[in-house]
Amino acid sequence: MIITKKREVQELMENIKNYKSFFLIGCSECASLCGTGNQEAIDALTEALKAEGKDVTGGFVPKTGCQVLGTKVELKPFKEALDKSDCILVMSCGAGTQAAVEIFEDKPVYPTNDSLFLGNMTRFQMFDERCSLCGKCILDKTGGICPVTACPKGILNGPCGGCKDGKCEVSPDIKCAWVRIYERMKRLDKLQELCDTVLEAKDWSQNIKPRTLATRPEKKEEKKK
Amino acid sequence: MSFKDILNSGKFVVTAEVGPPKGTDIKEMIHHIELLKGKVDALNVTDNQSAVMRICSMAVCRICLDHGVEPILQMTCRDRNRIGLQSDLLGANILNIKNVLCMTGDHVLAGDHKQAKPVYDLESVQLLSVVNSLNNGKDMSGNDLKGSTDFFQGAVVTPEANPLEPQLIKFEKKVRAGAKFFQSQAIYDINKFKEFMQYARKFPVKVLAGIVVLKSAGMANFINNNVPGIRVPQELIDELKAAGKDKALDTGLNIAARHIKQLKEENICDGVHIMAIGMEDKVPIIMERAGLL
Repeated sequence: MIITKKREVQELMENIKNYKSFFLIGCSECASLCGTGNQEAIDALTEALKAEGKDVTGGFVPKTGCQVLGTKVELKPFKEALDKSDCILVMSCGAGTQAAVEIFEDKPVYPTNDSLFLGNMTRFQMFDERCSLCGKCILDKTGGICPVTACPKGILNGPCGGCKDGKCEVSPDIKCAWVRIYERMKRLDKLQELCDTVLEAKDWSQNIKPRTLATRPEKKEEKKK
Repeated sequence: MSFKDILNSGKFVVTAEVGPPKGTDIKEMIHHIELLKGKVDALNVTDNQSAVMRICSMAVCRICLDHGVEPILQMTCRDRNRIGLQSDLLGANILNIKNVLCMTGDHVLAGDHKQAKPVYDLESVQLLSVVNSLNNGKDMSGNDLKGSTDFFQGAVVTPEANPLEPQLIKFEKKVRAGAKFFQSQAIYDINKFKEFMQYARKFPVKVLAGIVVLKSAGMANFINNNVPGIRVPQELIDELKAAGKDKALDTGLNIAARHIKQLKEENICDGVHIMAIGMEDKVPIIMERAGLL
């Protein structure tokens, strides 16, 4: 999921100081699991805005805030409250904010969160980054642990000289990605494979932004079926 | 004779290090280069060591050549992508810089520009392959070069890494990627290093043992607690402690000289790489005491 972090109220207030009334949009997916875009978060921000003398005309948690058409449809019943607001605040990720930007062409839209990374939830509202969405997966070669993400240098062929007692040179809180890969390959009796595999430099052309993807079948084919 | 030829001749080689300064005043650095001229077989020039921004390695390598010292260009992958690295390699080669030490490089968080974007488009094993490829007239994308390079490429190894096996797997990958020589992280336990060399001798590469002078027992303890892949044995710490404050450095120089002598006399490895870290003027003293001058 996309991990988001709530911005400090002061930073938010500075951004929206010229606006008076707000409509708040959350998201029931990632931002809800992060506690940044669920109903409770909307209620809390509503209180905070009111305390600063602002009006809140309404709020809603769409099912998937980054889904442009679905969110647009879900927001239709809130037309009156939306019209009354002079600014939209989006309480999800950067994708959710930009969905709202697309939906509300004539209204200012501001994010209330910072979007951090694609994360795994390890415990309740505790997240860590395991995948960088690099565009070409190498997990099949690295025992299922991604060194592009887990190693701060993204090294593809073994630990650097900074590995100390199995810990990363960047932080003693991080276990060396390549020691983890080594230990897992050893457990799976695949050390020879690890020795034999030299990974070539990554093809970063797979990562040129902005990326798009269309996987739905052609409409004609749908009709045939 | 070039560093490569000396190393291949079987002579016990000595390399030392010059750290480019931060700023354009190079008087002290040139003094150090002059001091080591004719004594060491080659001088490593560090590449923004510890991720602290300084004069680039390539310029100082050229200055070494101008002063009659053969340089080893240290090249990290931290600050340049594959285009920058290859371009600098071609540039270095036409400046007559023929030795390159390929490293991944300390993370920017270790240095003085912590907000910098780390590059790491390549890493040490891949950079070695790139050098190999440039030597064979092709760039990384397989394009023909108009004139190939003639680098003698090396890499680093940490014989006392913990855990060791993943490091050794990487060592072998570096050998397969074309490394011809290795300079090791500092070693203090000669018997342990002998074990490593028994393993390393299976490969067609030259190995230079890393020597870092201990200035005091405090420095030794600091290394043990903070520096990855280096362990100073307790008996050396005791020896430094027993020497007292005034004699500690002199004892440290003796330890370095004694280790070098043993490495050479017992034919344990192919040479040493002395990292003086600000004490370049002590390198000739160590060499003298080791019987190398």
